[in-house]
Amino acid sequence: MPNITVDNETFEFDGQPRLLQLCLETGVDLPHFCYHPSMSAPANCRQCLVEVGMPQINRDTGKPNLDESGQPVIQFMPKLQTSCSLDAAAGMVVRTHKSSELVKRAQKDNLEFLLINHPLDCPICDQAGHCPLQNQTYKHGPEGSRFEFRKVGKPKQIDLGPNVVLDGERCINCTRCVRFTSEISKSHQLTIIERGVRNYPMTPPGIEFDEPYSMNVIDICPVGALTSKDSRFRARIWEMSKTASISTVNARGANCFYWVKDNKIVEVTPRTNMDVNEYWLADEDRLDYRKFNDNRPLGPTISGADVAWDSAYKAVSDCLKGVDGTRIQFLGSAFATVEDNYLLSKLASAVGSAAPTYLAHNEVGHGDTWLRTDDRTPNTNGCERLGIHAADVAALKSRIQSGEVDVLYVLEDDPVAAGLCSVADLSGVKVVLHYYNSTNQTLPAADVAIPAAMAVETVGTLVNDQGHAQRLRPAKSIAGVNRTLSMEIGKCRADRHGTPFDKWYDESNLVNCQPGWVSIPRIAAGLNVEMNYKGPRNIMAELSSANDGFSGATYEAMGEHGVRLSEMGVTA
Amino acid sequence: MEAKKTKAGDWRSYQRVLLPPVKDLHKLDVYENNEGYKALREVLTTAKWDPTSVTNEVKKSGLKGRGGAGFPTGLKWSFMPPVDPNIPRFLCCNGDESEPGTFKDRQLMEYNPHLVFEGMLIASYAMSIKTGYLYIRGEFADWITLMEEELEKAYAKGYVGKNIMGSDFSCDIVIHKGAGAYICGEESSLMSSLEGQRAYPRVKPPFPAQKGVWGYPTTINNVETLACAPLIINKGGEWFSKIGAPSHPGPVLYGISGHVNRPGVFEYPTGMLITDLIDEVAGGMRGGKKLKALIPGGSSTPILRADMIEGVTMDADSLRDAGSMMGTSGMLIMDEDVDIVSWLRRITHFYHHETCGQCTPCREGTGWLENIVTRLDEGNGQLRDLDILLDLCTQMEGRTVCALADAAAWPVRYTIDRFRSEFEAKCSTDSVPGGGVLETA
Ligand SMILES: Cc1cc2nc3c(=O)[nH]c(=O)nc-3n(C[C@H](O)[C@H](O)[C@H](O)COP(=O)(O)O)c2cc1C
Ligand code: SF4
Ligand code: SF4
Ligand code: FES
Repeated sequence: MPNITVDNETFEFDGQPRLLQLCLETGVDLPHFCYHPSMSAPANCRQCLVEVGMPQINRDTGKPNLDESGQPVIQFMPKLQTSCSLDAAAGMVVRTHKSSELVKRAQKDNLEFLLINHPLDCPICDQAGHCPLQNQTYKHGPEGSRFEFRKVGKPKQIDLGPNVVLDGERCINCTRCVRFTSEISKSHQLTIIERGVRNYPMTPPGIEFDEPYSMNVIDICPVGALTSKDSRFRARIWEMSKTASISTVNARGANCFYWVKDNKIVEVTPRTNMDVNEYWLADEDRLDYRKFNDNRPLGPTISGADVAWDSAYKAVSDCLKGVDGTRIQFLGSAFATVEDNYLLSKLASAVGSAAPTYLAHNEVGHGDTWLRTDDRTPNTNGCERLGIHAADVAALKSRIQSGEVDVLYVLEDDPVAAGLCSVADLSGVKVVLHYYNSTNQTLPAADVAIPAAMAVETVGTLVNDQGHAQRLRPAKSIAGVNRTLSMEIGKCRADRHGTPFDKWYDESNLVNCQPGWVSIPRIAAGLNVEMNYKGPRNIMAELSSANDGFSGATYEAMGEHGVRLSEMGVTA
Repeated sequence: MEAKKTKAGDWRSYQRVLLPPVKDLHKLDVYENNEGYKALREVLTTAKWDPTSVTNEVKKSGLKGRGGAGFPTGLKWSFMPPVDPNIPRFLCCNGDESEPGTFKDRQLMEYNPHLVFEGMLIASYAMSIKTGYLYIRGEFADWITLMEEELEKAYAKGYVGKNIMGSDFSCDIVIHKGAGAYICGEESSLMSSLEGQRAYPRVKPPFPAQKGVWGYPTTINNVETLACAPLIINKGGEWFSKIGAPSHPGPVLYGISGHVNRPGVFEYPTGMLITDLIDEVAGGMRGGKKLKALIPGGSSTPILRADMIEGVTMDADSLRDAGSMMGTSGMLIMDEDVDIVSWLRRITHFYHHETCGQCTPCREGTGWLENIVTRLDEGNGQLRDLDILLDLCTQMEGRTVCALADAAAWPVRYTIDRFRSEFEAKCSTDSVPGGGVLETA
């Protein structure tokens, strides 16, 4: 493998990486703004300058010239080079700010320039605290400014589209946002307008920045110029905790971070996973989070009356007791985790019922060729692998209407809203409902209603449409003490901002709900059916060895980036 | 007057070749009657001239680019990769001419457009190119119309287009009108602009010969550079190499402006004494004033004080020794009444106005330079401002995508360097630093 020397340290490299990327990967923290690994490198911010030399080649022999000590003579390029636009090459010698005063000075000079027309109103800027410009200025910038003139004024608070707001003055013209629309999403909805120091990104006349992926530019903007219309100014970065998890808005299961303040989700941002969503997240994945905060149930109910959890569990067990298994209909859920659906299957078979089915939630035409899918649920693939297949809605409806179903057991779904049947159709049916929101339209028909933990409150596994099994992690806590959840929460904290998670461990806004892997074993126990698992981790451990469709999908293996399951075991 | 012996030789009896004194030469029939398209015919119909031999002849001529950088033209042509029939190749003729003090390409486009076309065709033949773009700044509207009309005639006569003069060489010329930005003259910006994109210069490498217009091999030359090609074919590279300064030979268009009696564009050999150009060619200083300073080749070339030009000739070597550059040979002559700080203020305004804004040092630096020079010019500057200015130049030079940042910094650096006392004299004695906040322009 070829060698490269950076700051007197020589190491091998593979392939044809760009020099900046290589430096970053080997731990040399080179400041940069315009470079993004997924896009072209226009080298316009000029922050990543380094000294670059190559072995001097003897014209006659074609071999490198050697000095007295037998080392190749290195010829340095006359000018500093942008490391983002340069491919690493064999024998290259690089000096960064760690070993070159020239580079250090260039980095400082550049930051001085970047800041002269920057508003420097960090105290009221949403980016403060996670701002590359702020961070790099502290690390490499000048101490003060020599600029004694009025800063350039540019338009502020411009709605580029429904979801993204621009502050032209904060923009440092890195063109990342523009390149996102021209190279990644290909919507071509942004361009730079004006010239020189007045430059800023804008939509072409008559065009709105309304592509379904528009909010990605907010994350890649290295300053606070682009903000989310939805979540701007709602919380400082250090007031939130952030949890690495999975989006559940569609079947792709894009990797994301859930940002929580006072036990409420305030923002959803992408988390890099090159196997699933790369660096990106669709707007729908970011904006559909209020369901986690609003209209949450207050606790379990029997026929609408508040009860204690134990009574609710007992009531469910009683519903199932002594009923002919063939007259009980279990509905699994593609919203629920693999673990919960698996336990439900076990419960169904314990009472002599057929395997559960699930209600498909397809929105034909909604999907695209990128991250959005027609399927609006996160775990269809996981259900299928468990042998839980889509319900024949018409057949089931007529069975319910003709009185062939005595008990309808619903895991985390809403059959009335989904059009399976009406509340009236269910008048003669005992209905057990695990549900998320008080807006659930099946609720009026429920005999026992069990508030279920949502994706942001539980531990579990989802399998995306490509067969990628990934872990959900709890981003916020629920009422009551659950050791498993607490431990998972403790484990997934990646505190980048040095604050303890006191904001997350807030007593307010705790929802009184339970994960399926807590409630289903309790219900089973009432039927003298044993489900002895320490938690979802053990359920997956069992599944990964017992079911070929989940082979290899242990929690340890899934880690932060999931596991691609084999094609086998998928029964469409 | 006794003729001094200079590199330009007997320049008083020099016969013009780029802009010969022929009435209506811009018209195709007149051009034809004056050896028009003879070089092209010779190249296309004589076995002697294969593409490589044309390039070699240009190399032999010693022609250096007239667009500002003075790069050897034949060498540039030989950078084009080997021909691959599946990969198109392009020529760009750079007629964006916007550097302050430069107005010589315009003259060629107005008075001898077919020479430019013919030069483009010969260059295209030499590099096996089938499409040549002629990029002209939009402000030259009249000459664009004129050239379009003449190009149509040349097409009709079979000088341009399919199977030119019955040969198997086909080449189109496309005239493209710029929208009026100095930066479009920078070669990679020109290509972006041509492609319909924002005229941002591109990082090099890749160089145009590797990845140019539409991502294909491309060569870019100045209008005047290409206009030399037919002359070199007609009279030989050797003939060309003997005109003017041996290291920087050929006829050149001197665009002389400023405080002289007869400003204008003058064709003479390279290597002319600056003093001859001012005193004789341009008719001497206006109103009998004394020369104070001049810039030899467009506003970005370092300024020379009157006492620095004794014996200096207009070619790369001599000007380098004197502390400047040939640039575009657009000479700006300033007399003793010029307030050099005010002049610099106008120049810094230009670069501030014209930076494309892509690179941080250039986008931010050009404005800051103008801010400070303005403050100095208004008498509110401080001595330390001069140090800041020089510092800012260091922070800009050689650290950007294209050379505009250098072009903006050099006038500041060299003007302060060579006229420091005038700057100091304008500094405020007011002890309040900054003397108040100024509006940006
Ligand atoms: C900011 C800037 C502006 C330029 N403007 C022009 C121009 O207007 N015309 C031109 O011929 N060259 C211009 N150049 C030089 C071109 O980049 C290029 O070097 C030239 O066209 C090459 O032609 P030549 O080799 O025939 O000189 C400019 C360069 C810079 C950096
Ligand atoms: S808005 Fe942000 S991402 Fe877009 S160019 Fe400006 S700084 Fe870069
Ligand atoms: S140096 Fe100036 S003009 Fe050239 S690309 Fe950079 S910002 Fe644009
Ligand atoms: S990161 Fe290299 S120039 Fe911006």
